Amino acid sequence: MGAWRDGDWWCPFKLVGEATVIHVDLTPDAAREAKAMGWLDGSEHSRWRRFQFAGPRRRFSLCRAALRAILCRRLGCENGQLGFETSRHGKPFATVNGLPVPDSFNVSHSGDHGLIAFAPAGRLGVDIEERVAHRNLDLLVETVLGEQEQALLARTHGDTRTHLFFKLWTMKEALIKAQGMGMALDPSRVQIPPAMLGGTTQSTLQSPEIPGVRWRLDDLGNEQFAAAVAHELCAAPRVSRGNGRAPGTPANL
Amino acid sequence: MASTAERIQKLVAENLEVDGQPVSVPDDLNANLSDAGVPSMDFVAFAKVIVAEFDVPLTPDDCAGFSTLKDLAAYIDGQAA
Repeated sequence: MGAWRDGDWWCPFKLVGEATVIHVDLTPDAAREAKAMGWLDGSEHSRWRRFQFAGPRRRFSLCRAALRAILCRRLGCENGQLGFETSRHGKPFATVNGLPVPDSFNVSHSGDHGLIAFAPAGRLGVDIEERVAHRNLDLLVETVLGEQEQALLARTHGDTRTHLFFKLWTMKEALIKAQGMGMALDPSRVQIPPAMLGGTTQSTLQSPEIPGVRWRLDDLGNEQFAAAVAHELCAAPRVSRGNGRAPGTPANL
Repeated sequence: MASTAERIQKLVAENLEVDGQPVSVPDDLNANLSDAGVPSMDFVAFAKVIVAEFDVPLTPDDCAGFSTLKDLAAYIDGQAA
């Protein structure tokens, strides 16, 4: 691999409690994409080739290379030592020399923007969406929003409605991704704290799916995209696999 | 009456695109929507569209779990049998 200038296409975006969120620039750039491919392993190259379109290939390679570069620095390892596995519902976690590491991360991308969230411990989920018109928006509203959220959306129109939908979607998606349950968790059952429905950009909540765990939820949206990050607070020691943590490794290490 | 495969192809064409480009599905449905780069939001909507079209139980998680659209068609046909 050639010389690597850290931060070529990514930069710090937000510090959110214990979590750091990085923005990844995913605009087309052949030189960056070629450089990124140098970081990917054989299975990642295979995955890259399976994508049908250039856009998903670009987003995957640029985000994965940024993730690898940052994790290598955080974990003090070489790229060749770093690997990724997935939990039962498809949430990826990092390994070094085949062993899961305690650091949490989560990746999301949409259009020309990617976000990668990192934390030393605690489950983590991030979501970003460019606010583009969706042909099935009404169907999505019925499917993913709860009654109170739908009522709130019904009082809005045009761009305001679109912005509110994407804000709610990204907050729900961040929480679902943090909990590591993928699409098995019905988004309409994920309730956004009332304060955040009212416009507050940060709150804490508990999920009925995982009793006893508190989550911090932050709305990270700006004029370019909707985005949110969810992070587990006061992580209790866990010993089960599938969440990026070695068996018996306390979550607060 | 169109076959399950033909109806799925039509639903994909009508409901899924990536970066403004239509998702192409071969006649044998040997295609994976994740490999096409379909985002999770579209998986959620597509699962609802499939449920409405075929009247079968299907969650977005189920939808994402099929390796190929051929497997989805087999599931739909199996529900009808």
